[in-house]
Amino acid sequence: MRQRVHDRTVARNAVESIASAGEDRFAVPARRDGQTNSDDSRAIVKTGTTTLGVVGADVAVLAADTRASLGGQFVTNQRARKIEPVDDRMAVAFAGSVSDAQSFVRRLRADLRLYKLRHGRPASVETAATVAGDLVRRGPYRILELVLAGVDDAPALYQIGRGGSVMRTEYAASGSGMQLAYGALEDAYEPDLEVTEIRSLACSVVYSATERDTASGDGTTLAAVTDDGVDLETFDTPEAAVAATSEEVA
Amino acid sequence: MDSSAHQQAYDRGSTIFSPDGRLYQVEYAREAVERGAPSVGVVADDCTVLAARKRVRSPLLEPTSVEKVHAVDDHLAVASAGHAADARQLVDVARRASQQHRLRYDEPIDVELLAKRLANHVQEQTQTGGSRPYGAALLVGGLDVTGGTDRPRLFEVDPSGTPYGWNAAAIGEGTNDVRQFFEAAFDDESGRQWAIETALEGLAVTTDDDLSPETLEVRTIGSHGGGVQTLSTDRVADVLAEVGSE
Repeated sequence: MRQRVHDRTVARNAVESIASAGEDRFAVPARRDGQTNSDDSRAIVKTGTTTLGVVGADVAVLAADTRASLGGQFVTNQRARKIEPVDDRMAVAFAGSVSDAQSFVRRLRADLRLYKLRHGRPASVETAATVAGDLVRRGPYRILELVLAGVDDAPALYQIGRGGSVMRTEYAASGSGMQLAYGALEDAYEPDLEVTEIRSLACSVVYSATERDTASGDGTTLAAVTDDGVDLETFDTPEAAVAATSEEVA
Repeated sequence: MDSSAHQQAYDRGSTIFSPDGRLYQVEYAREAVERGAPSVGVVADDCTVLAARKRVRSPLLEPTSVEKVHAVDDHLAVASAGHAADARQLVDVARRASQQHRLRYDEPIDVELLAKRLANHVQEQTQTGGSRPYGAALLVGGLDVTGGTDRPRLFEVDPSGTPYGWNAAAIGEGTNDVRQFFEAAFDDESGRQWAIETALEGLAVTTDDDLSPETLEVRTIGSHGGGVQTLSTDRVADVLAEVGSE
């Protein structure tokens, strides 16, 4: 199930993922201090998603599982896409509220398109990350943790926190599986890996996380952002993703 | 003296009718458009072509800084004639409207709907106290991509805020002559190349001088994933050479 995402198809793909809307969460970790968040909607959130991003030689890769759940307790959708293209050479992976994420993606796309029309050139990844951080901080989105990947002069990766923090990094993870993902990433990450190596690495990391995080799982979505655009692929199981991408590594 | 004082009462505010039912401010705005350098639009089978002639009043002026045809979205562009400052504001209104439509409905806006949104906005300025009408007209060209098959469309929005759908149209200086030319040239089953040539020939009707590629702006809004494309100066020169040799 491999699909090449061109700009024109973006709107239609987004409509598909709306079908998974509801009160679902691609849940983010609960507060570590054990205190309940005062906001009710946050109290629902326990565990859920694993998303990650890695920068390589000429590529920035995003990967995520495909499970949407209610508080990590009940699986509401097994084929939720947590990675969306937002510009020709930019994509975002999200953990948190499904409704916030879908609304956020539409808004970011519109803002980046307006930027392109007004400036006569696409926004840099840094600009997109700044806009995204601003939207999270000042906009109506509450439960959202993002990893933004893109290519301008070079590939770049940004993590955008729940309060709107924007930090550039070489690799990042978010969601309830993030500790597991970071464990695997710390071991496997090297600078300037090739596309096939990173794709394989990213799928292994998602697989590791889904093995031990009960609220991550079902499948894997993989997006490789290069100068040619966003190459988005979905695998039915994390195992299948590992098998397919490890074969490609020379 | 008496008559001019009489008339002045009706042309101060655009919200005021004259006794014979005219809105002088709107008519003056149309006059401003007719004094502007012309823009034309031609609908082909698989694309809409927008072209404009620019007044580059000094060799020191950068021709690219005089913008007459503006990309509004992946499937839309707008050409203007009249006051450039007013047109720029309308272009931004158009860009915001098309993105708002994507935000709300997650689909690209239809050309006709965008023309009507712009027309609503322009009309408001002819009826609101304290404002003056836009001294610019627009040609809104693009593709309807929501109906399953891509359909090229072209609309004119004039300073009164009325939208008109056209197969080929002109705004600005020499509009009537260009229209006559288009009426004779029009062929409703023709491709991109024909439309580009026809658009440039239409612009040539508006001036006694030869058209120079540097002062022309040509954009096509096409299907097959082409989007809004700008013709390079070299390409425009090639087309002019072909048109001239016929």
